[in-house]
Amino acid sequence: MSGTAQIRAALSAALDRHRGRTAVVGGSEALTYEELGRRIREAAGLLRDLPHVGFCLGNRPEYVVLYFATLESGGLPLLLDASFNTGEIAAIRGDCGLDALVLERAKAEALDLPGKGEPLPFAGDVVVLPLARDGEPAFKPRPDTEVCRFTSGTTGRPKCLEFSGGAVVSAARNWVEGTAMTGADRTLCLAALSNGLAFNTSLLSTFLAGGELHFLKGVPLTRPVARRIAEAGITRLVAFPTLYRNFVAPGGPDRAALASLTHAISAGAPLWPDVREEFRSLYDLDVSDYYGIAETGPCTFERHAGHHTGLGEPLPGAEVRIAPDPPDGPEDVAGAGEVLVRTASMASGYLNHPGLFEARVDADGFYHSGDRGRIVDGRLHLVGRTQDHINVAGRKIDPTEVVAVVTALDGVQDAVAFPDEDLNREALVHLVVVAANGELTKPAVVEACRARLAPWKVPGRISFVREIPRTGIGKPRIAALREQLNARKEPAG
Amino acid sequence: MNDEAETATKQRVRRLVYMAAGGKIQEAELGSGDTDLRTIGLDSLGYLNLLEGLERTFGVAIDLDQEEDHSFLHTIDNIVRYVGERSTAA
Repeated sequence: MSGTAQIRAALSAALDRHRGRTAVVGGSEALTYEELGRRIREAAGLLRDLPHVGFCLGNRPEYVVLYFATLESGGLPLLLDASFNTGEIAAIRGDCGLDALVLERAKAEALDLPGKGEPLPFAGDVVVLPLARDGEPAFKPRPDTEVCRFTSGTTGRPKCLEFSGGAVVSAARNWVEGTAMTGADRTLCLAALSNGLAFNTSLLSTFLAGGELHFLKGVPLTRPVARRIAEAGITRLVAFPTLYRNFVAPGGPDRAALASLTHAISAGAPLWPDVREEFRSLYDLDVSDYYGIAETGPCTFERHAGHHTGLGEPLPGAEVRIAPDPPDGPEDVAGAGEVLVRTASMASGYLNHPGLFEARVDADGFYHSGDRGRIVDGRLHLVGRTQDHINVAGRKIDPTEVVAVVTALDGVQDAVAFPDEDLNREALVHLVVVAANGELTKPAVVEACRARLAPWKVPGRISFVREIPRTGIGKPRIAALREQLNARKEPAG
Repeated sequence: MNDEAETATKQRVRRLVYMAAGGKIQEAELGSGDTDLRTIGLDSLGYLNLLEGLERTFGVAIDLDQEEDHSFLHTIDNIVRYVGERSTAA
């Protein structure tokens, strides 16, 4: 086979192999593998002559059908974050080219984009919105690229990751093998399919194994999640730390509700150790705090029920190395250094940032993750970041972008942004400002940030100080600043 | 709901919003019951926490897919009215 259409071929074989079984369940709709194949073929007709199809939709069976239908029709699916705003969608369109968007009708109608065509109804409120091309996009995908996903970039321009079909199929196969997924597995996927976690652990992998993929309509509160798990006999829950924390909070679902679960998987942000402990105590199940990187796909997974610390061992097809810290680097954890990863599911590069990905891959083909960690007893343990990006709910934020917005305001003399936590221990951007006079207020700063930044980049905490401590070369001394803020009587606000 | 019960419910809702936002919204900002919570920093994660808190505190089952208009969650006063109408524990 050539380097293209590998996802299509892998899915096609799976649809044939498992034809009588249930494939996808969402709301009241359930599709067998046979029905899924038929729906994909029918939908492919709708997508004919649409080479680049952007997906801006929450999880539902229609997403699955149209994603594979795009591949079936020879098109390229670009999986956008459903919360991307018009500016970000427009930036992607200019960089990568978008011939259509898959989204809800209300969003299609509200979208203010030039060249917008008449929405083509698909099923329910899901439509395909054709977009006329205004010249050629700035960048052309590699010939073997079969899927594009996005990571949050700076200045409202998401970075487009290209994946070959081989990489996508490898990630799915290695997840099936490494986590012993079978046709008896019923996966409830609550993480967005545009996210690497859901994409790699739930979508193609479920179908290769012959299992069932379930979606939940509505807000993922613990009550409906537990009800679905119990009613459908869900075996794998793919979710995020906040959901697990809500499960263990007082008044959460009882043990019997989750009795069918064999795997609880968490990603996007580190899971709090006490929540993991409490979940195990309440539900007799360890949450697998899997480690994956958008650029490399899944990296590690804990296979052994008796092992409760760290992020597990490398998955099949994944190798993890620790690069020793440089002589002038942090020395707070013995054996720690930057986490380097090489996998069979690596991205090919950033479509709209040529050279950026390549610059982070060394001569041995290992991707420099920017995370600091160490290997203990064969398991990866993370201890921090080597880079200054702030990870908020799995989205990496460049603090310099936030600072640039604020320092442009009248009266701001200095500012710095760094990672912090709220009272629920959720990560947030803490912005500290030195204002020339007392007139600049927190609401004014928030308003300026909201006007210029994506919602998740808006600082969750803002403090005003007289001076930001800096080193001789002008670098902010964050530890000293934290101490200074912690010593205050009044809350930071 | 009488005035006393409404005041108590309002206090509990205010506390739930404060906790749901992880302290990013100060309680002083919640003094006015008609402030749109979305404009003072209650984000999607905050709403997830708030809905969990409302369900467990007031015994209400909130299914947003069944509610065409979500404005009942936009202000403290609206939330108090909503739980007052449906709660078993308000």
